[in-house]
Amino acid sequence: MNMQTIPPLAADAPVVLEMTNISKSFGAVTALVDVSIKLRRGEVLALVGDNGAGKSTLIKILSGFHQPDTGTIVSQGKEVRFASPRDARAQGIETVYQDLALIGDLSVFHNMFLGREYRKRILGLNLLDNRKMRKQAQIYLDTLGISIPSVNSTVDLLSGGQRQCIAVARSIYSSPRILVLDEPLAALGVRESAHVLGLIQNLRQQRQVSVILIVHNYNQIFEVCDRINFLHSGEVALDASTADTSEEELIRIVKSGLGRKAIDAAAAEVRPGIV
Amino acid sequence: MPPIEIAKAGMGAVGVKVPHTMAERLLILLSRYREASIAVVAIVLVVYFQVGSDGGFLSPQFMSVVLRDTGRLGLIAAAEVMLMITGEIDLSLSAIFSIAPYVMALMSVTWGVPLAVGAVVGVLIGVLVGAINGIITVRFRVPSLISTVGMLFFLQGIVVSIYNSQPIVAPVEQPFNAIFGQSLYQPSDALLSWHGVTAFTPFLWAVLIVLALALALNRTTFGLHTIATGSNIIGAREIGVRTDRMKIYNFMIAGGCAAFAGIINTAQFTSADPQAGSPFLTLQAIAAAVIGGTSLLGGSGTVIGALIGAFVVASLNNGLVMIGAQATVSDIYLGAAIIAAMILSIQVDRLRTRRRL
Repeated sequence: MNMQTIPPLAADAPVVLEMTNISKSFGAVTALVDVSIKLRRGEVLALVGDNGAGKSTLIKILSGFHQPDTGTIVSQGKEVRFASPRDARAQGIETVYQDLALIGDLSVFHNMFLGREYRKRILGLNLLDNRKMRKQAQIYLDTLGISIPSVNSTVDLLSGGQRQCIAVARSIYSSPRILVLDEPLAALGVRESAHVLGLIQNLRQQRQVSVILIVHNYNQIFEVCDRINFLHSGEVALDASTADTSEEELIRIVKSGLGRKAIDAAAAEVRPGIV
Repeated sequence: MPPIEIAKAGMGAVGVKVPHTMAERLLILLSRYREASIAVVAIVLVVYFQVGSDGGFLSPQFMSVVLRDTGRLGLIAAAEVMLMITGEIDLSLSAIFSIAPYVMALMSVTWGVPLAVGAVVGVLIGVLVGAINGIITVRFRVPSLISTVGMLFFLQGIVVSIYNSQPIVAPVEQPFNAIFGQSLYQPSDALLSWHGVTAFTPFLWAVLIVLALALALNRTTFGLHTIATGSNIIGAREIGVRTDRMKIYNFMIAGGCAAFAGIINTAQFTSADPQAGSPFLTLQAIAAAVIGGTSLLGGSGTVIGALIGAFVVASLNNGLVMIGAQATVSDIYLGAAIIAAMILSIQVDRLRTRRRL
């Protein structure tokens, strides 16, 4: 699959998610200050920033795991409050966390359906429909081209790459509107990375899914993302489309630890008229 | 299915590596079927005592004693298993075991409340204490190992101060006593007589409840979320499992089981002793759970294994005395059995992860 051919995002694509002036502190530690992000339908947004910049906190607020101190989330034109991950899932927001949130002692198929189990009534008891879940998981993983020894094996017996694939597969099973991926490629080899990136591209093109991606590899950002938000010390220091930014410039900005405006201003001071 | 594959590889086409030695195969089997391994231990033990006692061990009379102890211990062990799977433990169960039947008997002798009603009240007390244990553990983040020790002394203090540590003679009400346990099997009883069967009701209740818990654990959403909570609490929370509730529910189940075990115990002895449950009972139950194959690390466990483990502990306690050992000696064997079970359990886990069985 050729990653370079991203069809440009329609200029009039509707905004599907808006987080406005989100702030969050943990005790004395301020994680986010007035962060605002906007996501349009079918858009792939990259969140970049150093460790501790607040990326994970931001997406954990979006997924309902943390609640913001201040700020609003507007989803599908309505203001929403996520008291728990269940609420966010109900809004069609699926998240793959950095730690993958897989349960090592449970089988692959139980992990796939955790929190949305198929059940059937037997003798008045509401029991798990393991056969159905097993079958569905197998079919689904086959469709995605993810190969694991068996859907019955417990997750703690799988390799890091396999686990990551299972976590991604689980998140897109319910056809989410918004997919949030916190370093989805961290444990993947080159081929597996390409596979997951291909999945993201397909979702975006075929189902108009919007994606928020936390990635550290800037190559990959320019392969699949439409826009970049650079978080620094809990604030959005840069919001730029990938078309207007080059990899070199991004690296320069991230290294400087300042926003582009500040860098441009500094450059203008040193060499007036060149910027 | 997997054992057949192993067999195929063993029959092996040329070039197929035969991967497992006998010892490894045994360990594989142990890791897959934890209940099976403890069942083998139980059978060996029964054969040993049966031979050593010239056939007395498996007599209905002696079995009614062993199975009574098995039922009492098994109920509490199964309760601990549910908690241990969520990564918690409850050391106050012995106090619940004492207080529930004490309230039942007290209500009966002072107000004439029927035992059946008192039993329901007793179980509800157990469930309530469990809920409090759970809330203290979850909301105030006190490790259950400590919070439940506090509850243990608190309840034990209450129950002995109610009536100056005096046991209360509980009235015999039929069919209550027949349903929940009569006195033990007498030599004159026939096994299939009314009294012959009712001598075993404590054990039958334990089997019933353990089977219900096994079903809940392995075939329901509740069980799945219980395992998820103990296996990876952060991950479970991230995916939307209500881990706090799961812990509280399991504390409540444990409290109810312990109360029920205490009520059965009182029905059988027709006496409510405020010191019926010593903390030693809880420790023996935890031992039974561990011997039965439940990990102390959370995330996995078997209630059926716990019942078999309880049978092993009860057999050791009673059988060694029967074949002529001093009563105190059985603790030496029990201690050794716990240590051996822990070593085996951890080694099997390591092997399983290393070899990706």
